[in-house]
Amino acid sequence: MALQAVPRFRAYGAALATLVAPGLGHWLLGRKGRGAALFAIVTATFFLGLFFDGALFPLRAENWLFRLGGIAEAGSGLLYLVGRLAGLGIIEQARVTGIMFGYGNTFLVTAGLMNMLLMMDVFDIAVGRKS
Amino acid sequence: MIPDHLISMVVFSVLVALFFATLNHRDRAGFLKSAAKTLGWMVLGSIAFAWLMYWTA
Repeated sequence: MALQAVPRFRAYGAALATLVAPGLGHWLLGRKGRGAALFAIVTATFFLGLFFDGALFPLRAENWLFRLGGIAEAGSGLLYLVGRLAGLGIIEQARVTGIMFGYGNTFLVTAGLMNMLLMMDVFDIAVGRKS
Repeated sequence: MIPDHLISMVVFSVLVALFFATLNHRDRAGFLKSAAKTLGWMVLGSIAFAWLMYWTA
């Protein structure tokens, strides 16, 4: 399906808005209830990950598994960026050997992947592929 | 922090189930059915898998 100029601009804008805040793209497209619910779910998953002592992996980590984790977590957009800049979830001995490290990472990676799915969903809604 | 595997797994499953139900369903009945189904499969599947690992160890 060929995309029109205005819908394409709208679609990319809404998808990028999802990186600013999860669910913001849905909100901007008029799905306010769904946007608010998705915001609550993704941010809760992200903050529970930090609460459970998960790490915010850097995108340039030497360990390739950490790098993959960083790419997935970066899907959270501004949440990831602010968390990294604030020094949250730093990889350190006490955290890595903690009992909840794996759970925390699972929550953080899942929050990033959920947000990536939201970006694609918003794009599909904006171009008319999905209602 | 909740140093409990079961509670952490259930909380995670609830969030994932709610996410996909919200994303894919507009109607209340469909939402509830989808969320319950995903939650059930995730929780019971995890317990079954954990039991299998324990049993085969």
